Amino acid sequence: MTAAFASSRPGVPLIDGIDKVLGRARYTADLDRAGALVGRILRSPIAHGEIVRIDTARARALDGVIAIVTGADCDKTYGVLPIAMNEYPMARDRVRYCGEPIAAVAAVDEETAQRALDLIDVEFRALPAYFISKDARAPDAVLLHANKPGNVEREVHHDFGDIEAGFAAADLVREHRVSCAEINHAQIEPHACLADFDPVTGRLTVQDVSQVVYYLHLMLARCLDMDESQIRVIKPFVGGGFGARVEVLNFEIVTALLARAAGGRVFMQLTREETFITHRARPQTDVVLKLGMKKDGRFTACACEVTQRGGAYAGYGVVTILYAGALLQGLYDIPAVKYDGYRVYANLPPCGAMRGHGGVNTRHAFETLVDRMARELGLDPFAVRRANLLHAPMQTMNGLMVQSYGLAECLDVVEQASGWKERIGRMPPGKGLGMSCSHYVSGSAKPIHFTGEPHAVIHLKLDHDGGVTALTGAADIGQGSSTMVAIAVAETLEVGIDRIRVISSDTAVTPKDNGAYSSRITFMVGNAAIDAAKNLKKILIAAAAKKLEAHPDEIDCAGGIFRVGRGGQAMLSFKEVVAAALVDEGAISVKGSFTCPVEFQGGKHRGGAVGSTMGFSYGAQVVETSVDEATGMVTIDKVWVALDCGHAINPLAVKGQIEGQVWMGMGQALCEETRYLDGLPAHASFLDYKMPTIVESPHIEAFIVESNDPNGPFGAKEASEGALAGFPPAMVNAIVNAIGVELDEIPATPDRVLEAIVQHQRKVKLAQKKARS
Amino acid sequence: MSARLSEFQLVQPARIEDAIAAFVAKPGARYVAGGTDLLVNMRRGIVSADRLIDLSGVAGWGSIDADAEGMTIGAGVTIAALARDPIVISRYPAVAQAATSIAGPGHRNVATVGGNLCLDTRCIYYNQSEWWRKSNDYCLKNRGDTCHVAPQGKRCHAAFSGDLAPVFLALGASAEIAGVDGRRRVPLSDLYVEDGRAHLSLKPGELVASVHLPAVLAACAYEKVRARGAIDYPLAGVAVALMIAGGKIVMLRIALTGTNSRPFLLADVDQFIGKSVDDAMLHGVDRLVQRQVQPMRTTLAAAHYRRLAAAAVARRVVRRLAGA
Ligand SMILES: Cc1cc2nc3c(=O)[nH]c(=O)nc-3n(C[C@H](O)[C@H](O)[C@H](O)COP(=O)(O)OP(=O)(O)OC[C@H]3O[C@@H](n4cnc5c(N)ncnc54)[C@H](O)[C@@H]3O)c2cc1C
Ligand code: SF4
Repeated sequence: MTAAFASSRPGVPLIDGIDKVLGRARYTADLDRAGALVGRILRSPIAHGEIVRIDTARARALDGVIAIVTGADCDKTYGVLPIAMNEYPMARDRVRYCGEPIAAVAAVDEETAQRALDLIDVEFRALPAYFISKDARAPDAVLLHANKPGNVEREVHHDFGDIEAGFAAADLVREHRVSCAEINHAQIEPHACLADFDPVTGRLTVQDVSQVVYYLHLMLARCLDMDESQIRVIKPFVGGGFGARVEVLNFEIVTALLARAAGGRVFMQLTREETFITHRARPQTDVVLKLGMKKDGRFTACACEVTQRGGAYAGYGVVTILYAGALLQGLYDIPAVKYDGYRVYANLPPCGAMRGHGGVNTRHAFETLVDRMARELGLDPFAVRRANLLHAPMQTMNGLMVQSYGLAECLDVVEQASGWKERIGRMPPGKGLGMSCSHYVSGSAKPIHFTGEPHAVIHLKLDHDGGVTALTGAADIGQGSSTMVAIAVAETLEVGIDRIRVISSDTAVTPKDNGAYSSRITFMVGNAAIDAAKNLKKILIAAAAKKLEAHPDEIDCAGGIFRVGRGGQAMLSFKEVVAAALVDEGAISVKGSFTCPVEFQGGKHRGGAVGSTMGFSYGAQVVETSVDEATGMVTIDKVWVALDCGHAINPLAVKGQIEGQVWMGMGQALCEETRYLDGLPAHASFLDYKMPTIVESPHIEAFIVESNDPNGPFGAKEASEGALAGFPPAMVNAIVNAIGVELDEIPATPDRVLEAIVQHQRKVKLAQKKARS
Repeated sequence: MSARLSEFQLVQPARIEDAIAAFVAKPGARYVAGGTDLLVNMRRGIVSADRLIDLSGVAGWGSIDADAEGMTIGAGVTIAALARDPIVISRYPAVAQAATSIAGPGHRNVATVGGNLCLDTRCIYYNQSEWWRKSNDYCLKNRGDTCHVAPQGKRCHAAFSGDLAPVFLALGASAEIAGVDGRRRVPLSDLYVEDGRAHLSLKPGELVASVHLPAVLAACAYEKVRARGAIDYPLAGVAVALMIAGGKIVMLRIALTGTNSRPFLLADVDQFIGKSVDDAMLHGVDRLVQRQVQPMRTTLAAAHYRRLAAAAVARRVVRRLAGA
């Protein structure tokens, strides 16, 4: 395998960047909403209970109230996984978390809507509520969902290789427990939806913040009992997703229900608090991890038990708990892996997918235990990782294909850049270095809604103006996917990027796409875009050949100039070729598609599709920290990170994504967490949810490693999630290096760190006492 | 859950006397300066006002005057202006230090000294939306009848979390208070009461006009502990003023914020006069702080942590000022 550093190519700014910087970009809340009613949601004040009675009469009588809907108005469940749709847009007979929607109002203005909510009378019969996994799993606990005994949504038991033999062969076996707090995406744009129902035609148009426009289209049809053809969903500019909008959300359906009930337009904007309550992010997770290691650092076996507190409904839960186990593999060579996963229901907002979906917390447990064991064996952390590298191409025990693997280069790069060899063991008091590796999928090879269709389809349109319009359902949510499409088309056609225009995510215009999740777009949509551009190029070359009276095979096309043979005399400009092509065809439409072959779609075991992908990205990073032992405050001084993304289609965007991943991993590691007081979210503002600010943000030195994946578009793999999971363990390893204290919990808030220091000192004193007596 | 402001009348007086008259004329009136605390609380429905009296146009309100006697800081001086004032930086660097640690740059441009001193107390059960508090049956401080932090007690423990007050206290500041009956000057500590529901001793209509800092020879510093490096209130904040002569302490004041319902001067520090700053002395400071602070479960960070951190920071700041 050859790997090179791509920083020589600068890349291009995102094609929609100027609009954003100049404030011209229109997000959902900026849309023209003339004549729209204001929608508001009534939310449950209790964490668990039966709804005995809802009376909307007083609210309906209020002047200016146009429509009211309740759970009675929609008896269809919705959800992202066809096998686990157990949520109604508004609770019908039971509420399962504080803040769950119960009813909604559309009124002439916000004040009236709010007053109407206050006039809706709801009577509850309270049930016991559970806020931690252990309580929810207690034998006498009331079930949140009658069909899920023990309040366990899904148990996973996977066993690969000979686990007992593995541990028996080890020179050192260690087990530890780690707890990771629940976190939130905290995307900047609060949730919003503008729904338009035309009572004359019976058509519905929804403009919304979704990352999964097609799924939203499907669920609207299901929950409103409408024919899909009568619905149009448009995604305006979206201010961040990170997984927050990767499944259909209750407010989206509720807004549409209100619009239909009102026979008009309804605009719904959630407050920051409501946006936090809608949740769908990374669950609180308990991991018990056991590893076997040889004296030279070789892994012999890994046993891992994961308990995720999933919240009140299924959401993505089954996928998350499967990912947590599947992603134990595909990074290192481990001869035996046993996994036991438990996804637990609790009376809290439902969790979901978040950047690094499923893999982050188990990776944290793994990489911190590897370091503990390396210390015990006197091994360098880099050496341990190097002792366990995979060799591509290969297939893991759980059926994951590894076709390209740049981890060794990533390790070399960050080891060198951070000066690891010279500095480790010589850091001043209170300062430490730590490192870690991580990986992530480039799109789930088996789609959630399996239809047998291609994984991605792109349409290209070429007309008299000589501009190429790429139509894609892929949702650009700020990650730059539309720019990637433009580059893929432009490079394939060998024309300037300014000739390409991308229209994304309008179900009346763009071909269906599964959406922005599991880092699938570059790999799948990128390949489809190349395929489409190749098809278009064929038409152009044929037209050029005809005009130049040559055979298509003789036509050379470079830099938008078509000639016969390389350096031929007769040549045609791009516009001339377009004009020639249009003579035969009129306006040209072509398409391209991409399908993941079945052999990539995962192992045959139950749940084997989760984790399957065409290619893994690989990352290594070194984190330098300072710890203030008096206050427990941790400072991140610097980060060196390398990501193998196969090939950087747009190095500028890749660097931005690497920094973003590190930064998000830092938030989870250092200070972000959700906190509930009797089920009420106490963190639901940007003051109380402690995202790092620019003050805590370290200098991040990002390196791109290119392993050229054989199947990726231009050799590319995903570039926006793989490095995230490496940050928390690298930081915790650095803290141990700085002060010799292990942390079993993240985030490393000052109170947790100080508590760990106090406990550590107590243990040391006790040991000294014992030694003396 | 709505974040709408309720209707109010806005009055913009040019003189302090007019401001006070406008206040007493209308029950339910409130003063507003930068509004960075008040408007947030109004949106959440924890503070209501039928009339807002905007103090920003009051003459002489925003000036800093320094002479040999010390410095007078108008209540309307913005936090940003305070932080970058050259005389403040040279004579009272701890004040600039504390000012720079308040909220974020955008807040500091409009937030004022008066507003910072008169900041409402804070609690995780109180600084929440109307829906949230209603779902939790409200609490003593606002519309309810129990305290969720200390349900047995009868008082509110919401924490005062302003960053300037401790520094001013350590510097021996006094406050000029204007009211219907004219003006009075009180030691700054008299402005505060240990009661989360009513932590200011101001009478109806009274406002803080200015703060006076005496000329000081003592070295002074401020340090705050918080979960992140900006836009975050102190979990505990400690200001220390220390003067040493011939290796012995001749003056020491330690003031704290974030741990109680008022900022306060640590009592019994006179025992250290005549002593040198050594491990025993620092240990004594640590114990005094731990004994006198009363952090309760009003923040997401553990109360016990705020106690330990306050003590640790007090020790460190004293040691640093002594150059020990
Ligand atoms: C996100 C965020 C973070 C924050 N972080 C911090 C922080 O780290 N540290 C910190 O100390 N503060 C912080 N604050 C609070 C606030 O911004 C500052 O305390 C600020 O100095 C308040 O001043 P103001 O002029 O905006 O006050 P206002 O909001 O105008 O007033 C606050 C209160 O004081 C009263 N008042 C104002 N002036 C007077 C006067 N002269 N006499 C009598 N009463 C008066 C008002 O009636 C009101 O009750 C933060 C606020 C936010 C929103
Ligand atoms: S301390 Fe008690 S009374 Fe005061 S705000 Fe908090 S919960 Fe309410």
